Amino acid sequence: MNALNNLLNRIGRAVGGVVGALYQSGRDTIDTVIRNILPFMAFIALIIGIIQKTGIGKFIADRLAPLADNVPGLLLISIVCALPVLSPLLGPGAVIAQIVGTLLGVQIGQGHIRPQYALPALFAIDPQVGCDFIPVGLALGEAEPETVEIGVPAVLFSRLLTGPLSVIIAYLASFGLYS
Amino acid sequence: MNATLGRWATDFIGLFQAGGMVFVGLVTGIIPLLIVLLTAVNALIKLIGPERIDRMGEIASRPGLQYYPLRYLVLPFLAVFFLTNPMAYTMGRFLEERDKPAFYDAAVSFVHPITGLFPHANPAELFVYLGIANGVKQLGLPLGDLAVRYFYVGLIVIFIRGIVTETITRIMMGRRAEAEDVNAESPAPTGRTTPEGGTA
Repeated sequence: MNALNNLLNRIGRAVGGVVGALYQSGRDTIDTVIRNILPFMAFIALIIGIIQKTGIGKFIADRLAPLADNVPGLLLISIVCALPVLSPLLGPGAVIAQIVGTLLGVQIGQGHIRPQYALPALFAIDPQVGCDFIPVGLALGEAEPETVEIGVPAVLFSRLLTGPLSVIIAYLASFGLYS
Repeated sequence: MNATLGRWATDFIGLFQAGGMVFVGLVTGIIPLLIVLLTAVNALIKLIGPERIDRMGEIASRPGLQYYPLRYLVLPFLAVFFLTNPMAYTMGRFLEERDKPAFYDAAVSFVHPITGLFPHANPAELFVYLGIANGVKQLGLPLGDLAVRYFYVGLIVIFIRGIVTETITRIMMGRRAEAEDVNAESPAPTGRTTPEGGTA
């Protein structure tokens, strides 16, 4: 009888734990959607609406599309984003990357940029990722101040090499995508 | 006069009507799937327990060529997947000082490539991928192929980035150590040589 009670008790606890975890996850998810995702969607929707309805969309299309539709152009975008002076300025919250990504998406949707360039473009607009956050990121990893001093320029210089390289790798990996 | 003003008003409201259509499209097209997926992955992470990847961090800190893929490929992926942006960078605490910038570089470079398949890892920065993916979707093309390729090219890139940044960090630390040696014992030109140090 005691054994049976124990068993029931253990099953009850396990099920309770799983249900609790699921419920808490749902709560966290809704929280994330309301705090992070919906506000950014509102912001992006406003920008897309404005660029589609005014002439800005066409203006940007005329300049961005010829760059983003070939490898040298994408390399140029990636080098600009990876410049050690610019990259920490372009980084915060990935806002610039998200806006440029959305603009390029609109161009792909309208047929100005071929869809197989979506993959290299994803890397061309992102060599600055996290460049604004290096000291904080290293502090989260409990790095010494001397490490931070060297780590910041080390990462920034590394991006100048690996940024364009990532575009080339992505271009090679995009063979057979949407074609 | 009135006709002109009327046309301006229509154009003005038109801007926001277009934005509203885009918003509805994003909310109905992306949010439902995202909510269910985020709930599932969040629950999975809670049930597994993110503290279990701590051991992985300890193993990845070992010296030796065979631990490079662990340090700049497996560990950044697990850290970003389980701890998400920005807590993923706390995994750097298990590593040697000279490897920390490289680990940060690898981990932070993965917070966008992962969002194509696992949006829970960085829900505030989805539009790097979603912005471009939406254009592809408008053409009626499937997104799975793009998401998978973004993911694995991301893995290749973070691995290269980890190695390159670690090399640069070592060279810079070597130079600094040399400079300090020279300063400390200025008459002795034959200071301690660092194996990785470049020529100053």
